[in-house]
Amino acid sequence: MKLDIYLVGVGGQGILTIGEVIAEAALEKGIPVNFYPTKGMAQRGGFVKAQLRLGQNPVGPNIAEKGADLVIAMELSESCKAVRYLKPGADFILLGNVWKPTKVMLGKAAYPSPEEVGEKVESAGGCLSFIDPTSLPKFEEEPVPENVFILGIVLAGTDLGKMISAGTVQTVIENRWERGIERNLFAFQEGLKYYN
Amino acid sequence: MKTKLMTGNDAIAYGALHSGVKVVSGYPGTPSSEVIGGLLKMDLNDVHVEWSTNEKVAMEVAAAVAWTGQRALCTMKMSGLNVAYDSFASVAYSGCTGGLVVYVADDSGVSAGMCEQDSRGFAMMSDTPVFEPSTVEEAYELTKYAFELSEVIGSPVFLRMVTTTAQSWAGVQIEENFKPLDRKPFLIKDITKYTKAGAQICMDQHLDLINRFEKAREQISKKKINTLELSQDKGGVGIIACGVTSSYLEEGYELAKEYGFDRSAVSVLKVLATMPFPKIEVEQLMNHCGSALIVLEELEPFTEKEVYILACKIGYKGEIVGKLDGHFSRIDVYTADQVIKGLNTALNLNIPEDIVKSQTEAEKIAAARPITNCAGCPHRGNFLAINQVIRKLKLKKDEVMVTGDIGCTILGMNSPFDTLWTELSMGASIGMAQGYYHSGLKTPVIATIGDSTFFHAGIPSLINAVQHKVPMTLIIMDNGWTSMTGMQVNPGTDESFQQRGNVKIDLEKIIPNLGVEHFFIVDPFKLDEHVKILEKAISLPGVKVILSRQECSIQALRRGVQVGEVEVTDKCILCKRCVTITGCPAITLGEEAIVIDEVLCNGCSLCAQVCKKDAIETRCC
Repeated sequence: MKLDIYLVGVGGQGILTIGEVIAEAALEKGIPVNFYPTKGMAQRGGFVKAQLRLGQNPVGPNIAEKGADLVIAMELSESCKAVRYLKPGADFILLGNVWKPTKVMLGKAAYPSPEEVGEKVESAGGCLSFIDPTSLPKFEEEPVPENVFILGIVLAGTDLGKMISAGTVQTVIENRWERGIERNLFAFQEGLKYYN
Repeated sequence: MKTKLMTGNDAIAYGALHSGVKVVSGYPGTPSSEVIGGLLKMDLNDVHVEWSTNEKVAMEVAAAVAWTGQRALCTMKMSGLNVAYDSFASVAYSGCTGGLVVYVADDSGVSAGMCEQDSRGFAMMSDTPVFEPSTVEEAYELTKYAFELSEVIGSPVFLRMVTTTAQSWAGVQIEENFKPLDRKPFLIKDITKYTKAGAQICMDQHLDLINRFEKAREQISKKKINTLELSQDKGGVGIIACGVTSSYLEEGYELAKEYGFDRSAVSVLKVLATMPFPKIEVEQLMNHCGSALIVLEELEPFTEKEVYILACKIGYKGEIVGKLDGHFSRIDVYTADQVIKGLNTALNLNIPEDIVKSQTEAEKIAAARPITNCAGCPHRGNFLAINQVIRKLKLKKDEVMVTGDIGCTILGMNSPFDTLWTELSMGASIGMAQGYYHSGLKTPVIATIGDSTFFHAGIPSLINAVQHKVPMTLIIMDNGWTSMTGMQVNPGTDESFQQRGNVKIDLEKIIPNLGVEHFFIVDPFKLDEHVKILEKAISLPGVKVILSRQECSIQALRRGVQVGEVEVTDKCILCKRCVTITGCPAITLGEEAIVIDEVLCNGCSLCAQVCKKDAIETRCC
C-alpha cells in the first residue's frame, strides 16, 4: 500500500511535527518514507507545507498535482493551496483555524469563508472533513495541542490508519515528549475518538 | 548498520564523518546549513567544524587541509559557491592529495530566495566531477565515495543536492561504528602545483586537470555509479535521468501504465555522477534505443547538450526529448509530470495532459501572506527610523535610495515599510550605495546590512567607500546572530554563545579603525533617538556608520529574555496606526482596542512609540 499526504498550515501550529511523528512511526514499521517539509523563509505565521510519501521506494520528494491521497490542513486560507494536489476522492482534513495576514486584518484584502473553501475542495473531488477549532477538547482547562489532536483524527478516520496502527504512533509520541506527555497523549486519544 | 530517520544534509554529515573527515568548514545558506549545524551539535574530538566568515575563507581552510593529505568537507548554498569560486578554481587546477569534497546545495523551485542557478556550470568551468544523490539514502553512500574518488584522481569533487533532497527526511542505513582515519598531516613543497606564478606552471596544471577529469570518468564508470538498465529487446525508448529526477521514474511509469505504457520496453540510465558526462553509458544507450531518448534533469540542460554532441559524433538519429526541443522547462522542480510528458512524447501514448495537472482556482482565493519581520524584531526599528527621516527631510520614499542586503534585513522591502530597493549579493548594499552616489544623485544614499553579512563581504566595500570619500550612510543592523538561515553563530555573536571556546569580534571596535570618521551606536527600539542620529548622520560629510544593536528577538525570547512589557489601555481608539506602521504580527484587532499577543511580544514598545493616543503603556524589564 502507498499513501501520499500533503500537509499545509502556518508556522507555529506544529504541522511539521505531525509529519515527523508519522515518518518516525513508518520507519518503525519498516514502511518506506520520504518526508519533505518546506519552511522557506517562514517564521511564526508564515506559510508552511510538507509532503509525506509512504510505501514507495524510491520516491521523489514532491507529490504531483492530483496525487495526494490525503490532505491535512490546519489553516483555512492556506488549505486552498493544497487543493491542487488533491487526488479526486481523497480525504481533506481541515482544521478551520483563521490566521489573518495584516492586510486582511486592516480590511484591505479578502479572506475566504469556510463555505468558499469547502466548495473548492468538493469541486476538486475531495471528501472534506471540517474540524471546528473552537471545539477542541480541554485538558486541565486548556485546549489540547491541536496538531496531536489532528494526528489522532487522521489516524482513526483515514487510510493512514490502515498502514500504521495507533499504538505505533502512540509509542513515537511517548518517546518524543518528555514534558507535557499527558496533555499530548490525551489530545491523541481524543482525536482517535473524534469520529465515534 | 542501523537505519535512522535523517535529512539529506544529515546523511552528508554522517557520510563525511564516516569517511574520516578532519575538517568541515562552510557558511550558512538554506538549504545546506544543517550539515555543519548537525555536526556542531555532536561531541567530536578529532574533527574541526566551523562556520567560517564566508565561503571563500571556508574553501581555503578546507583546501589547505586536503593539501596536507587529510580529508575536508566544505559546505555552502549555490550563491556561496559564487563567492568561493575564486579560490575553488585555483584549487581545482592544483588538485589535492587528501579527499576534498565541496557540498553545494542548489535551489530549483526557489524555496529560500536568490538566483535559481545551476552550480554544475561552475563544475564544467573547472573540470570537476559532480555527484548528485537522487535520494536521502544515496547521499550517505555517495558522500563516502566522493572522498574516495577525490583521492584516487587527486581533484576536489562536488557533491550537489537540491532543496528537495537536502531537506527531505528518510530512513538511512548508516554504519554504527567508525574509526577516524589515523593520518598525520604532511607538507608538500611544490611550487609547480601550489602556486600559479608562471605560464608553464599554469598550463601544466591545466593539462593535468583535464587528465584528472578523464580519470574520474573511467573511475566512475568502473564503479558503476551511473546505472544502465537496458531493455531485453533492442530498440524502444531510452531515459537519461539525472539526480533527483530518477526518483520520479517509478511513479511516472505507474501513472502511464493505464495508457498502454510497457515498462519492459524502456531502457534507463540513472545518472548520479552528472559530470564528467557518462559518455560510455550514453553511447551504449544510443546504440540500444533507436527511436528516442528522454533527458530528465532539473534546471540547465548541461547533460542534454552533451547528449546532442555525442549524437552528432556517433550519428544517432533518434529524437531527443528534453529542454532544447521545448518539452521541459529550465525553471522550477521536476515531478512525475515530466516523466509522463516525456513518455507521452516519445511513445505517442495519448496521455491526457490533465492527469497530473490541476486547476489553480482554489489558490486564487487564498489570502496573500507576505513574509514579514517577527514580532519584536529589532530591524523593524531601523525601517521605521529611515522612513521617518526621509519624511523629516521633506523627501519622498521614491527619491531616496536605500540599498538592502541578504538576510532578514531585506524584509524591509515589504509592506508596511517599503523601505529597501535592492538585494544583490552578500555585502552588495555598501558597494551599490557608492555607485548610486557616483551616478550623480543629489539625494542621500543609505545602505543597510546585517551583522553576519557585513562580516562576510561588507568590510572591503566599506573600506572602498572610506578611501573614495563617498558621502553615504550605512546602517549595520547587528542582532548578534545569522538569523535567517536558522540562528548560526557568527564572528559578532556574544562570547557566551561562541562554540568551542571561539572568541567574539566586536563591530564597535572594528569600524572606527577602518577610517570611518562618523560612527554612532543606536538602540533600534528607541525610535526618537535613532531618528535624531540618522538625520544628523545624513547631514555630515563622508562615510557615516550607524551600528544599530539589539539581539534577534527569537533568540532572546528562547532564553526568556524580554526587552520590556506593554499594556494596551482604554485610550486605544482602534485607529490601527500601530498595525499600519509597524506591521507587528503580535498585534490583532479586538472589539474595542488592539490586542497584543503576550507570547509573541517581547516588549520592544515600537507600537507604543508610534501611537498618537498614548494608548500603550510600557515598562522596561
